[in-house]
Amino acid sequence: MLRFLTRRILLALPTVLGIVLITFFLFNVVGGSPASNVLGQNASPQALADFDARGGYDLPLFLGRWTKNRALPDVDFAAAAPSELARWHADPDGLHLAPGAELDLPLYFPLPAGNTWRLDLDVTAGALASPDSLPATFPSDAPPRLVAGPDGATLAAIRLRRATRGLFDSQLVRYFRELAHLDFGISTSLNRPVAAILLAGIGPSLLLTVPILVCELLLSLTLALWCAYFHGRLLDRLLVAVSVAIMSINYIVFIILGQFFLGFKLHLFPVWGFESWANLLLPVLIGTFTGLGSSVRFYRTILLEEMNREYVMTARAKGLPTSRILFRHVLRNALSPVVTNVVLSLPYLYTGSLLLESFFGIPGLGYLSINAINSSDFVTIRAIVLVGAVLCTLANLLADVALAAVDPRVKLS
Amino acid sequence: MTDAPATASSSPWRQLWASWPTRLCLLVVLLFTLAALVAEVARDYYLLRDLTPPWQQQDISAAYLPPSLHHPCGTDGLGRDVLLRLLQGARISFLVGIVSSLIAIPLGVLLGLLAGYYGKWLDEAVVWLCTTFAAIPGLLFVLAIALVVGKGLLGVFVALGLTTWTSTCRLIRAETLRHRSFGYAQAARALGFSSPRILFRHILPNVAHVALVSFTLRFPGAIGTEVFLSFLGIGVQNEPSWGTMLSSARLRLWQGVWWELTAVTIAIFLVVLAFNLLGDALRDALDPRLRSRPQT
Repeated sequence: MLRFLTRRILLALPTVLGIVLITFFLFNVVGGSPASNVLGQNASPQALADFDARGGYDLPLFLGRWTKNRALPDVDFAAAAPSELARWHADPDGLHLAPGAELDLPLYFPLPAGNTWRLDLDVTAGALASPDSLPATFPSDAPPRLVAGPDGATLAAIRLRRATRGLFDSQLVRYFRELAHLDFGISTSLNRPVAAILLAGIGPSLLLTVPILVCELLLSLTLALWCAYFHGRLLDRLLVAVSVAIMSINYIVFIILGQFFLGFKLHLFPVWGFESWANLLLPVLIGTFTGLGSSVRFYRTILLEEMNREYVMTARAKGLPTSRILFRHVLRNALSPVVTNVVLSLPYLYTGSLLLESFFGIPGLGYLSINAINSSDFVTIRAIVLVGAVLCTLANLLADVALAAVDPRVKLS
Repeated sequence: MTDAPATASSSPWRQLWASWPTRLCLLVVLLFTLAALVAEVARDYYLLRDLTPPWQQQDISAAYLPPSLHHPCGTDGLGRDVLLRLLQGARISFLVGIVSSLIAIPLGVLLGLLAGYYGKWLDEAVVWLCTTFAAIPGLLFVLAIALVVGKGLLGVFVALGLTTWTSTCRLIRAETLRHRSFGYAQAARALGFSSPRILFRHILPNVAHVALVSFTLRFPGAIGTEVFLSFLGIGVQNEPSWGTMLSSARLRLWQGVWWELTAVTIAIFLVVLAFNLLGDALRDALDPRLRSRPQT
């Protein structure tokens, strides 16, 4: 058992690594800095740079000695926008400096103190008197002044880079380091540590999802047993038809109609809020009902499959009543897929129900996720996705272990 | 759905055609396709002529009209005809189902074939990728991808395509693994055929039904996810889709405007039901063994 457990845990490690890499790839590599999304289109370059520095978005992605900055974004005059050309008084051929002309770099804001910088220029004609060698390195407080040589100079592109604290001073390494400390960063929309937000959201989510899980399991198993007992007869067909119908009605419609009729028209339940247990009744009811369709069908398939086994035939031949076969033999043997299914759905307890929580104002993780998405809060979403995925991996592991514990045949394979 | 025993002599297609619910479902899917095509042509016509299409024409004096002969599904808050908007929504749903399948299914089939056939490190890499992608909770992953890619249809396509290929990949991989050891594959190898030829000319046709079943069974999910994303406002923008219609109909329901919600609900229900039943029937006819695996 111990060997099985160790091997299974070792097998899960690459998955966890993959999850971390996928979230990093998605949010940092593809998504990039969310600064302008969060701060708005009119934010100053200084504010954007401060945002980047807080979130580590000003570092190279994987590794690197040098990194871009917002004080002087890269400019390639041949491809630059007209506004950029106007800022530099340049044309698409380049920036023309008259003989001996001097130019201070048009920085958006003073360079952050305590850094080393590197300036690289593409000189296409003439030469510069200063800086005399390219690329030029300099400290934050002494940005170089460009001085054209006696023949003037034409610059095609200008690139300013900040030195990182080392080759591994990168976003990826920072991400790993933060995760190792269980630090999920600071939410950009709520300005609080994401770890604290997640902890606060788990409670309300569980209050909603645990009752849904339990009710759904009990109800759907009972109904599936009825289906198996009356297999092929009217009740079975009716239940299957209703299940497919429930599966085909959109989830959102269920919530809208449930809220409207049961909450608003009939006044059976409170419509919105999170003050007492009564607030949870309607969302639990809706959540249970919508999940019923697919789980009844799933459990019915499992039970029927089990009923086709030879031991059931033997039991039938012995003359056992169907109910006894069903409860004493089939249910017991069908338990392992049921357990697997339940364990695998455990992580969804954590992610909560995205829509139910927003519709009913339950301040859980689902509600949080929707809010974070509406305010482009990459940090929070990244953390929620990551934790959810790691929990799924853990649940997978747990399911395997539970299965091995319940069913000795599993260990051998 | 129907557990009718398959006679060995009848072809799966004939068996499918023999049951009237399946024929009905096929009819609904056909009508849905037709509606989407008509909506596409109409949209292109108005785009080409640079006219405001009738489903965008606002007429405040005709707002909130209940269903009538002139407006069979009534009008919405800006006086736009709900039926025409419903047709445009069908176009979006169809597009989402097809395009996301065009991303997910080739990806899943290709990786599954390669992993199942070549095995070794390739198999391990694909299984690792599959496990990792499958570990991320589906809806959250879709939301995250849509958020990063940006609002709009492209985000919906990419999000759906990148999150749903794993189940197809697993099924194809398992099937390829089985077929690799079959006599016909061994014979092909003994004849000295190249691996790609065996894989794509011999094995692929024998496992292709898995892709067809996957396609049909994932369509309802794709439609549902588009509705979900558009409902939240990160899906389709400035165009009528079933999700955006649901989102506006939701607020109007409280004022007693029931027809928009009803129309959208019925449309989604019929299409999703038809695809669900058709997918089940296809699976049962083509490969009942696929049934025992849990659905995602």
